[in-house]
Amino acid sequence: MFLEQFTGNLLQGIVLGAVYGMATMGLSLIFGVLKIVNVGHGAFIMVGAFITLWLFNTLGINPIIAVPVAFAVGMGLGFVFYYTTMRRLIKAPELATLLATFSIGILLEELVKLMFGSEFRGYNWVVGKINLGVTVLPMTKLYACLGSVIIALLLYLWFKKTRAGSAVRSVVEDDEGARVCGVNVGGTYALSFSLGIGLTVASGVLLTMFIPVGINPYMGGGYTLKAFVIAVLGGLSSPYGAFFGGLVFGLIENGSYTIFNLIPGVEPFALTRFLSFVILLAILLIKPTGLLTTK
Amino acid sequence: MRKTYLIPFVIFVAMFGFLFVTNSLAASKIVIGHPACLSGKYAKAGEQAIGGIKACVNWVNKTYGGVKVAGKKVPLEYKYYDCESRKETVTSLIGRLITVDKVNVVFAPYSSGLTLRGAPVAESHKMLYMDHGGANNKIFRQGFRYTVQTIGPASRYHEGTLDMIHKIDPKAKKVALAYEDSEFAKMVMHGAEKHAKKLGFNVVFKRTYPKGVTDLTPLLSALKASKPDFILGGGHFEDGQLFNRQMADLGIDTKALSLIAAATLPAFYEALTNMAEGVMGPSHWEYGVKYSKKEAKKVGLPWIGPSQDEFVALFKKALGKDIIPDYHAAEAGAQVLAYVLAVEKANSLNSDKVRAALGDLKFMSFYGGWDVDDTGLQVGHSMVDVQWQGGKRVIVWPEAAQTGKPYYPMPTFAEKAKGKVAVP
Repeated sequence: MFLEQFTGNLLQGIVLGAVYGMATMGLSLIFGVLKIVNVGHGAFIMVGAFITLWLFNTLGINPIIAVPVAFAVGMGLGFVFYYTTMRRLIKAPELATLLATFSIGILLEELVKLMFGSEFRGYNWVVGKINLGVTVLPMTKLYACLGSVIIALLLYLWFKKTRAGSAVRSVVEDDEGARVCGVNVGGTYALSFSLGIGLTVASGVLLTMFIPVGINPYMGGGYTLKAFVIAVLGGLSSPYGAFFGGLVFGLIENGSYTIFNLIPGVEPFALTRFLSFVILLAILLIKPTGLLTTK
Repeated sequence: MRKTYLIPFVIFVAMFGFLFVTNSLAASKIVIGHPACLSGKYAKAGEQAIGGIKACVNWVNKTYGGVKVAGKKVPLEYKYYDCESRKETVTSLIGRLITVDKVNVVFAPYSSGLTLRGAPVAESHKMLYMDHGGANNKIFRQGFRYTVQTIGPASRYHEGTLDMIHKIDPKAKKVALAYEDSEFAKMVMHGAEKHAKKLGFNVVFKRTYPKGVTDLTPLLSALKASKPDFILGGGHFEDGQLFNRQMADLGIDTKALSLIAAATLPAFYEALTNMAEGVMGPSHWEYGVKYSKKEAKKVGLPWIGPSQDEFVALFKKALGKDIIPDYHAAEAGAQVLAYVLAVEKANSLNSDKVRAALGDLKFMSFYGGWDVDDTGLQVGHSMVDVQWQGGKRVIVWPEAAQTGKPYYPMPTFAEKAKGKVAVP
């Protein structure tokens, strides 16, 4: 019974972790290129969740279709916020960028609240389940996981195979050097910020495919906190590291519950969170650059 | 020399006269003060409470003819400010209502946390503090003298569900408790566990989950392994939605599922649609309950206030919206009626006298029975259990208040996915 539950929870953890990882890639990309910590990260996830909700409940559009729509909206938002706010703050003290991204997050939350109200909403997209023996996996969760893996692979190919991707990598390495070599650093900043926001908004769609309830303007706060833990686990400036960090985080969250459940007199959920942060602290002490970075 | 003595005398007489006049004016109306949750996380419940209070204030002023005190009928006035659902705002607003607005009574804001935060402020001013949205029993274990409850205590939330299952399915013995790690939910489940054991149920699973949880899969997997006959769970709205959804995802089928706070709200069904069929929840009041003058006479209680339909009409008029009030509105409205009866009984607006009168008060209104114990805890109000049947909330327990028979056992999630509804 224990082994069945443990294996089932690990499988659920991998699926959830892939989505968490995808939801953190945008944060890592923005930090890697622009050295900006986007504390409004969760608000962009929330925007993606509301795009899905609106498309599904109002127009009956499949949440899978909502992924590219949300990505496009996110890219657009990214360009707008970059050219109106962030461009002026690239070389500003860290506190200025923290306050700016925090304010953008609040602005988005209040705008969505104005448009949709503050109730907790949800949608009901049922497309069957797979019985894996040790656990039952709804197809929606599987789609969310596959979507996350596909997006992570596409991002990897874009970085490795395209000129724009190479430009982003060169700016991550050394922005002055890239400028000397003829890379349009300003344009790369704008593209990276928009791409990061686009990925984050798209991840909001995937998260609602995993958990299609509890959608409200203030849902992003919890995800921001998780994203920071995951980003540090994988390496704050590495999007692939973030994806890997997400998988580790999902496994810790779900897998450890079954083990802690065996200890009498303790609440397993309280200990899983505790363990997540103990591991985070350990990584910061032993390998502060993150698990997947070579520096 | 004489003139210098005269000046303080004139000032004294003027001040005395001013106080006398203002006191007389104060007696010409009774002011209810309320730090209301107009915005923030409790805005929905706050709007309902305001609608309920306004509805009953209108009924008292227009139909009842005002509150009879010191030989004359005095109208009620309702003064409220937005507390933004924040504790620090609640304390400052209560201070303002008492010292600046000179209200005669303070109605607590929604939720146990906000009610508890405001209680010491009211207490320090010796001001009557009436609680319509704070169910946690702990509020009444602090020794507050001026706090009086209208909402039923948290410890009794699940008694009806347990009584119902005990009666209709004597073979169901195994109950699972899974709930939010919050004071309110813990109090509800502590009461449920006690009552379950009294009725002979075995608690086969008991676990909490943290506030703001986004994935209950590991907990629900462990719960599934305990093979309960039925589940009592929840804490607040968002986790209740998640609980039901992830039970459906994992295919956890039980004979009954009762969720506190979430299952009684329309948004619960809107988000989950068919997955919510057959799910139950305790409620303090539901449209359709059968409390009436006739019912009051039958149980030997005096009746006051509008009928249920009159209350609904007054509520809609007060908010200017065509919506049916929920229990947040009903309990807030009933509190107005309790205060009016207590003032009349005390024949005074003095908080000590009105508090003493509330202690002896027993009555029935559209909200049901009302009676408090020595600590101010509500003991006279019975809750009802509602169940989603064909997309509608039906009162299934207690039998005296039923608007429909319970659907038991509830359909499996596979059946619900195929469109089966829980209509008997």
